[in-house]
Amino acid sequence: MASRKKILLKVIILGDSGVGKTSLMNQFVNKKFSNQYKATIGADFLTKEVMVDDRLVTMQIWDTAGQERFQSLGVAFYRGADCCVLCYDVTSPNSFKSLDSWRDEFLIQASPRDPDHFPFVVLGNKIDLENRAVSTKRAQQWCHSKNEVPYFETSAKEAINVELAFQTIARNALAQESEVDIGHEFPDQIKLSNDNKAKQDACSC
Amino acid sequence: MAEQVEVGVAGKSSLNCTDGDVVTDVLKDDTPGVSGEVMLVNTDSFEECNHDLDTQFSGGEEISGPDSPIRKVQREQDGSNELAVGISNVSLNHEEEEKTESEETVLDANEEEEDEESTDEEYLKSSEWILKEKHVFILSESGKPIYTRHGKEDRLVTLFGVMQALVSFVADNDDVIRCIVAGNHKFVFLVKSPLILVAVSHTVASVPQLIMQLTYVHNQIVSVLTASALTRMFEKRRNYDFRHLLGGTERLLDHLLNLLDSHPSFLLGAIQCLPLNCSVRDTITNTIIQYCSKIKNLVFGLIICQNQLISLVRMKKFLLHPADLHLLFNLVNATESLKTSENWMPICLPKFDPNGYLYGHVSYLADDCEACLLLLTVDKEQFFTLSEAKQKIVDRLRRHHCLEGINVAIRSSAYTVRAVGAPELRHFLYKSKTTAQFTCPEFTPPYHTDEEQKRLYGMYQLIHHRVHSASRPLKMVYMVMDTETLVGWVTKEFELYAALEPLVTKSNAIVFVNKLLRWIKNEENKLFILNSPTF
Repeated sequence: MASRKKILLKVIILGDSGVGKTSLMNQFVNKKFSNQYKATIGADFLTKEVMVDDRLVTMQIWDTAGQERFQSLGVAFYRGADCCVLCYDVTSPNSFKSLDSWRDEFLIQASPRDPDHFPFVVLGNKIDLENRAVSTKRAQQWCHSKNEVPYFETSAKEAINVELAFQTIARNALAQESEVDIGHEFPDQIKLSNDNKAKQDACSC
Repeated sequence: MAEQVEVGVAGKSSLNCTDGDVVTDVLKDDTPGVSGEVMLVNTDSFEECNHDLDTQFSGGEEISGPDSPIRKVQREQDGSNELAVGISNVSLNHEEEEKTESEETVLDANEEEEDEESTDEEYLKSSEWILKEKHVFILSESGKPIYTRHGKEDRLVTLFGVMQALVSFVADNDDVIRCIVAGNHKFVFLVKSPLILVAVSHTVASVPQLIMQLTYVHNQIVSVLTASALTRMFEKRRNYDFRHLLGGTERLLDHLLNLLDSHPSFLLGAIQCLPLNCSVRDTITNTIIQYCSKIKNLVFGLIICQNQLISLVRMKKFLLHPADLHLLFNLVNATESLKTSENWMPICLPKFDPNGYLYGHVSYLADDCEACLLLLTVDKEQFFTLSEAKQKIVDRLRRHHCLEGINVAIRSSAYTVRAVGAPELRHFLYKSKTTAQFTCPEFTPPYHTDEEQKRLYGMYQLIHHRVHSASRPLKMVYMVMDTETLVGWVTKEFELYAALEPLVTKSNAIVFVNKLLRWIKNEENKLFILNSPTF
């Protein structure tokens, strides 16, 4: 039964202000881009249905405000995210340096059970611009040091790699989402029946 | 509303009305349905609701450790500690599963035909969906949709996202969101980690009443999974999709929510007994005791039918909470397949022990009797013992013509308000507080249509809310409306809600209400179970 239901994947986009988080989300969901900069206040989200290996999943992409003073959704909000997308601007070394603190902040706030294997994806945005300041190699090294985080270089303006990046995000999140169903034994002294376990397995396929 | 008399806390508990009509004082001994022997936890539904609100702030009730009732029973009865993983659903549940699955398939197919292409955006634009009187949503604390009363939860992710954001935003200030009132709409939140329950309603139900309803919904989920399993799963994986574990529970939730809007038992926090001659009831009770008292670990044995209790026998130390009994009623009513087989199922009764399962032998007495027998034990290996006991119980009940007695009662025991002999009295709810039981007559004109019954229920909700208002509780409320006159009266022993003709005079209303109390007193042995048999 559960297998016929669409799975919801909660994706959170983090990064310094102005790196293009909102633009990336808009490009992915609405196929639109605007050169005009509008700071995100609080947070916003869009949903999009995507196919991942024959499974229809709903991605709920939460776009957060880069400016700290706009971070108003509360700690509880980050919890239960299925994937976190860290964004920086390839023309801005500072935004790249901030990745560490965004990652740390996310891990503290969301406190996932297995932080080393939580699915992050890094996006280096604005590769359409001439004045690039962070090399691909440098970014890859950083991703490598964080347990092989997938890395994509994107342009929200030119729609380069955006689709591919979000496909990967969805796939990684889904892989992590569905692996849970293995061991849930009920350490209650009085245990759930075998029958019930069979039921869950049947549902989670 | 032409006139309204309210008697505050200071008012006496006898009916001496404001304009000086002196009426016979109701003597305490005459209070109908009062009993020193208690088998159900007597509770004020609203006290409980407030308790639930309080525990929201302290992070929920503590998960009980070694002293949970189930373990107590086990320790005392077992001596030994072996609690191996065992098979609890003996074969017979299989059928049920298949059945639910096929039912779901049919349902899904229908809905898909309707709106295969529709997305959640379209749901939110559908006025039919929006105008539903009451919506109930369940999501996990991380915003994963679990259940919606109307529509399909996986098409409402946007809405669920907003709900989670609201809860999270308020939680950031160490606060808990309780409700938003916008025009006629109430948005009521119940945050019970790891679940968030939300009701959106434009019915007359008050905020505390809606919170109480959400608490029932939460209890239903706990009853399926246990509170500790919920917490544990969530600790393991915050992004866990609880639908994996709750597949098939929609049926119970839908059924419960339908009843919550129409059945007074939830509003009153009380249960209704099938009116039955004392001798028949005693024979039934004694039969249960006779064949079950020797069975170790058996906590409750009860016979129910159509949301009414026929008999309840309990282990001496434990009382059954009405809220738990409501869940048992709901389980039996919502599961058609129980009729065709003998069943063995784990059931968590949240008020008894939210963290463990009781095992229930659930079966209808016979093909020719609609009553259902439930034997609840903590021992998951007891199926065959209980199955045998059941057969003996049924045999003896048949020999003593109790099955016929029950059938006759099911067909003919409902009474109308005319029996009271108070001509201007139209309908009433009477709750005996000490026994947590209530009685009410069948609906008669003008309350013979669904619409009117619903409206009357709304009126009861309204006066119930008035007398239980936290800021200004009342002992008595007298309301003259265009369509009826309403009386709400709460004493230590009872709660009474009555609907009378709109033009009844106040003195007549008082006469009729007192007449009603005398009538219930006369009938109390039939209407209520006043003893409290134990194993």
